[in-house]
Order: sequence, then structure tokens, then C-alpha cells
Amino acid sequence: MAVRADPTEAYPESILVAAPVRPASRARRRRFGGETRLAYAILTPTFLVILGLVAYPFFIGIYLSLQSKMVGAPGRFVGLQNYVDLFRDDMFIRAAYNSVVYTVVAVALKFVLGLTMALVLDQERRFNNFFRTLLFVPWAIPVVIVSLNWRWIFDDLSGFLNNFLITFHLTKNIISWLSDPSLAMGCVIAVVVWAGTPFYTMTFLAGLQAIPRELYEAAEIDGASIVQQFFHVTIPRLRTIFVTTVMLSTIWTATNLQFVYVLTKGGPAGRTEIFPHLAYAQALGAFRLGMGAAISLVFFPILVLLIIFLTGRMLRPADE
Amino acid sequence: MRTKTGTQRLLRWIGNGLLVVMLVWTLVPFYWMAATSLKKDKEIYGFEATLVPRHPTLDAYRLLFVKTPFVKYVRNSTIIALATTAFSLVFGCLGAYAIARLRFPGRGAIARGLVFSYLVPPSLLFIPLFTVMSTLRLVDTYHGLVLAYLGFTVPFSTWLLMGYFRSVPLELEEAALVDGCSRMGTLVRIILPISLPALAVVAFFSFTQAWNEFLYAQVFISSNEVRTITSGLTLFIVEDVFFWGPMMGASVLSTLPPVILYLVFQRWVVKGLTLGAVKG
Repeated sequence: MAVRADPTEAYPESILVAAPVRPASRARRRRFGGETRLAYAILTPTFLVILGLVAYPFFIGIYLSLQSKMVGAPGRFVGLQNYVDLFRDDMFIRAAYNSVVYTVVAVALKFVLGLTMALVLDQERRFNNFFRTLLFVPWAIPVVIVSLNWRWIFDDLSGFLNNFLITFHLTKNIISWLSDPSLAMGCVIAVVVWAGTPFYTMTFLAGLQAIPRELYEAAEIDGASIVQQFFHVTIPRLRTIFVTTVMLSTIWTATNLQFVYVLTKGGPAGRTEIFPHLAYAQALGAFRLGMGAAISLVFFPILVLLIIFLTGRMLRPADE
Repeated sequence: MRTKTGTQRLLRWIGNGLLVVMLVWTLVPFYWMAATSLKKDKEIYGFEATLVPRHPTLDAYRLLFVKTPFVKYVRNSTIIALATTAFSLVFGCLGAYAIARLRFPGRGAIARGLVFSYLVPPSLLFIPLFTVMSTLRLVDTYHGLVLAYLGFTVPFSTWLLMGYFRSVPLELEEAALVDGCSRMGTLVRIILPISLPALAVVAFFSFTQAWNEFLYAQVFISSNEVRTITSGLTLFIVEDVFFWGPMMGASVLSTLPPVILYLVFQRWVVKGLTLGAVKG
């Protein structure tokens, strides 16, 4: 099987962007139409999946969040009490603040690094395909393993970082990366960025390679410098991809609890506590299902805006 | 042809420099993982800890296979990921064909619902899904976990295939229909053979997502008989004591399936990914 990915190779364009539905002629519609029953029949599994595994649990979640419910016990309806309690809780406010910092900083770093790498990989170079393959590997591996591996790298006594720094006399004292309140969040974000940058590089690189070379040649003839070319040709052409990538990644970054769960469990002293992990800790650590459900739902309004916007975008036919 | 100016040569060197930095940043964790798995405990911990294994040994792997339920976890992950892939492919093809080719009321709404479902993150659904699974006695079963995974693999597969099926020229299908082929016949004989690259992408994503998934596996499974590797790995931590040798060995081995699949499918995967979707 071929391992090389040749960017110049002709690729079915449809895989990049959903092709527009053609307006059917009347004759065609007659032949193709009237198949409602077949359509419903073969859509049943998909429909059941959406209904049973997403829509139904979602409403159960809202219902749960209005109850005081412990695991294994029947719930008691408490109205909005869970939410009221949350906003009075310092831990929750801190988690809200942490979640915002965590998401914004991680997404920004991934964006900058991803764009830089995409630009570098877009340069002509021997073995570029090989380098790209290597740089994308973090994307394919399980996040739990990424996090465990980094936890071991950050280990106080025997981890790679301290080991390395001491071997080369860069520090005398052991640095407690994950248990130092001022370092922990930075370390968690570094891991998130390590794991998440390839996704950005991939989408940005695909965008860069779709820009016709003639545009750059024309700009050059007009006397545009390389910096001007970047801001007036490259950036505008990538804008759609920027928006989609950042939004998708914001949803995934903000809601991923695996990094925090493995690296710090929210500590030290709540410095890395973020919403998804707080919800998990409440629901499965403290067995307060109602409270856990309420926490996951608090940030849903913001999420739903992103999701609605993206849904429209991902269904829109080719417009470039 | 462009001539090489000074600026371009400079940019080239900056590019090469950045590439080296990024390669080191990306590869060091892999090195550390592999190196640790090949060390004896003495080299892993304490004052004699080394950066490069001095006496490489497979002891950690031996321990992993003999003393831990690692093999069982891998078996469970394989069964669950394969089942998820199979169901996603079948459901995805059927659903995508209906949305791409058939006319029926509610088509737009279903397409919307699909993308929406895919974007709703598992961390929002795992608590209510856990109560649902408990009620239906699906906790601690293979089919329960597969079912939970279908919640995100089916919407994604359907959506990806939908876009691909639409690009297959209608004329091909019309010809077959005129010749007396049934609707399902055209799907199997005309559309699917043309769509093999898309099917490969769907298979890759379904398998990898199921294999890599952690949250549902952690919440819905509590017995070692059904536990998957991602959730099992965290059990190697006992009361804050880590067995880093075997754990890194297990990490190396359980990273291999998704990485090998990625290397094999990469040219399609990267294109499929630029559809704007897939994991974070």
C-alpha cells in the first residue's frame, strides 16, 4: 500500500466539499421520485441512532440536571437548584475561568503552530511527504496514551524533562511540573497543543495547496513582497478554513476531559479544573448525577451557537 | 519560473529550522515512550535513571503479557472497534444513499440532525447516557459500548459518504435503472465500487475513534472482562504508584494499530479530514 501522499495528485473534489444537489428535470424526478418508503426504510438505523443515542440522552440530561439524584437512588425534583448552587460555588467559578483560559490559549497556540507548520510544509523540499507523515502521527494516537506519556515526561523524580535538565546542568532543583500551581496549567496546555496541532496543520496545508500558483505569480509581477503576498493572497484564501477549523477545535478542546483527567485530575488546588472534568468528578467521583448533568449543560448555550453555525457550514455545497 | 532571491533563500532556511524544531517536539515523546519500555526498573527510577537505555531489555513486555490483563484489553478493543466499524459502514452507506439520491419529506432535517449529532460532544452526553445504559442493563457489555460509539461514528460516516455519493454522476445510475436494476442494486453495483476511497476513510475513522475512545469506555465498563485498552491503561496506576515500564510498553503496542492504519490510509484520510471534521 502506498504510504506517500501526493498533494498534487488529482483527487475527487467531492471529498473536499459536498457537491451541490443538481436540480432534477421533471422526467428525472419522475424516475427518481416517489421513493419515500424506501428512503425511510434504509434511513431507519441512522434515524434511531440520532434519536436514541443523541436526542433522547440530551433531553434526559436536561431532566437529570433539574434533580437531586445520586447514583442508584431515585431522583428528587429540585428545579433550578443545581444551577443556583453552581453559581454560588467558588470551585465552579474557578473552573469556568480555567476553562476559558485553557480553551483560548490552547486554540490560539494550535492555530499559530499549525499555520506555521503548514507554511513550512508547503515549501518545496526533499522528503517533505515523509516529514509531513511524521508530524501528523500525534493526531492518530489515543489521547489517553498521549496524556499518560506526558505525565511520565513531567514526572518529578525520573521524568524526561527533569532528567534532561539535570543531565545537562540546566537546573539544580527538581521542578514539580504538574504539582506546581503556577506551572500546571501551562503543562496541560502544552500537551493539548502537542496532540492538537497536527489537525490544524493538515487542514491549513490542504487549504494552502488549493491556492492556484498563478495568484502568487500575478502578485509578484505586480511587485508584491512576500509579506504582502501572505496577507493579501494567502490569508484571504484560507479564511473559510480558519473559521471552520477553529470552531471545530474549540468544541473539541473545550469538552475534552482526558488531558486533565490523566495529567492532574484538576489539581493542584483546582488550578487545572475545567468543566468537563468537574462534571465527571461530580457525577462519577461524588456520584451526584444531577449536579454533573447540570455542569455539562451550563456551557451548552455557547456550544450550541458554534454547532448551529458549523452545521450550516458543513452542509453548504461548494462555494469556492 | 521564479528565480531564487535572497529573501527566498532566507525563508527556506527559516523553514528548515522550524521543521527541525517541530520534528524534535513531535518525536521526543515517542522516543521517551519507547526508551522507557526497554529499560530495567533501575534505569527508570531514581538516581541511576538514564536518558538512553543502557541495557535494553524486553522485561517490561514480558511482564505485560504474563502478569497483566493487557492481552484481554486488546482483544476487547479489537472486537469493539471492528463491530463499530462494520455497523458504521452499513448504516452509513444506507443513510447516505437515501439522503444523496432519494427524495422524501424531511430530508433536509435529517441531514441537519446528522451533522448536529456528530458535533455534540460525548462529554455532554455521557452522564444521561450512563443512566439510560443502566436502565437497559447495557452497562458492562460489548454491545452497549458499540452502541454508544455508533452515536458519533454513524453520523460522521453518513455525512462523509453523503458528500461522496452526490459526486457520482447521476447518468451512471440512470443507465442501470433503465436496464432494470433496482435501487439497492445500483447502490451495491454502481455507487459503492466507485466510492471505495470514501469507504476506506469511513472505516479508518470508525475503527480509530472506537479504538482511541476513553470517556465512554471508562464510564460504561467496570469489569475487566469487557474493558478496553484505553480505559485499562489507567488501571496500571495503583494508588498513585505507576508501573512506567509496562505502561509505556502497553502504550507502544496499543498505539500501533491506529498508527499503522494511518500510514496505510493516509492519503485518503488527510483528504477526508479536510472535509472539516474528525476528532480533536
